[in-house]
Amino acid sequence: MTCNEIRELMPDLAAGLNPVTREVKQHLNSCPECAGKLEAFRQTMALLDQWQAPEPSPYFDVRLHARLREEMAKPASIWLRWVRKPALGVALAVLMVVGVTLFERGGIVPPSEPGPIADVEPGTAVGDLQALDKNHELYSDFDVLDDLEVQHDVTANP
Amino acid sequence: MDRGLLAVGGGVSRPQAGAEAAARNNGLSDAEVMLRVKAGDEPAFEYLVQKYRRPMVSFMYRMAHNSAAAEDLAQEVFLRVYRSRGNYEASAKFSTWLYRIATNLAVNYARDTRHERPESTVSLDAPDENTGLTMDIADGSLTAEEMLVRRERMAAIRQRVQALPERQRLALVMHKYQQMDYRQIAEVLKLSESATKSLLFRAYETLREQLQKFV
Repeated sequence: MTCNEIRELMPDLAAGLNPVTREVKQHLNSCPECAGKLEAFRQTMALLDQWQAPEPSPYFDVRLHARLREEMAKPASIWLRWVRKPALGVALAVLMVVGVTLFERGGIVPPSEPGPIADVEPGTAVGDLQALDKNHELYSDFDVLDDLEVQHDVTANP
Repeated sequence: MDRGLLAVGGGVSRPQAGAEAAARNNGLSDAEVMLRVKAGDEPAFEYLVQKYRRPMVSFMYRMAHNSAAAEDLAQEVFLRVYRSRGNYEASAKFSTWLYRIATNLAVNYARDTRHERPESTVSLDAPDENTGLTMDIADGSLTAEEMLVRRERMAAIRQRVQALPERQRLALVMHKYQQMDYRQIAEVLKLSESATKSLLFRAYETLREQLQKFV
């Protein structure tokens, strides 16, 4: 075994994850440098053992389950659903391409002017609303006339 | 489909649900349990949470150096696992997939908070980050001076590990504290096994040199 091969194994050897085989032992007996390094690695590992991580707090599970419930309550995005189903995605893409092609060739005529509104009999609710709409400008003029009348009265009776 | 986990969080106690799930999943690999989650078995997910919650918090703590952030990040890992359950393929070990998600989150967190983390200082009055105890009650058998030395040693370990290059730090935490073997670390980091061995050797060698005075 070479020094490089021992070095590759050294982290596992120092951590005790790999057993010291006969070959490794032979090399360590004949190579004080590798033996010294392995011992130094073991000491470093022992030092690193002192760094303990805290246990999860009592609130960890509570908060995790609250976040999971929130996650479950979220509706899955419609677009994501399409993307996740390739067949539907392809169908949507084909439909879009066909639609755009037909539109460009004039196959689909976009609606130009809105059609004439059917006359509605006066006296009905719809008829009254239409009449109000048509007379809106006239009512606006009435307001101006009212204002003028008030002005006139003020001038007439100082 | 979602009722199982809601029940786990509500009426049925979590240890009970975890135990039930453990009994049902006995003999199954984690990857097989995850495939059950994919098929809509929510208590199976609870089994995985209970199995990996401690390793995840511990991994994140050593990457984030902050207990609160470690718990948030560990929760985020489980949320991401749950969100990705539909895409899960049992091509690799479940834990490899889990640690890959955890690694991405930890790396992003470290990059985002690079300028926020203060230098570690040693104080007699501040509570210990690990135990939450102040020096006078943390360990009655140690003198104040011994406690101060211990604090200094812990701060040095944290600082030196934190100062390692990103990949070396990840490999070291997975090897030393998560007891993962070379192969699995290599898979998580998407490296060759040989490159992983070399990475780990360099990480331990750096720490050996820099922590020599504390040995």
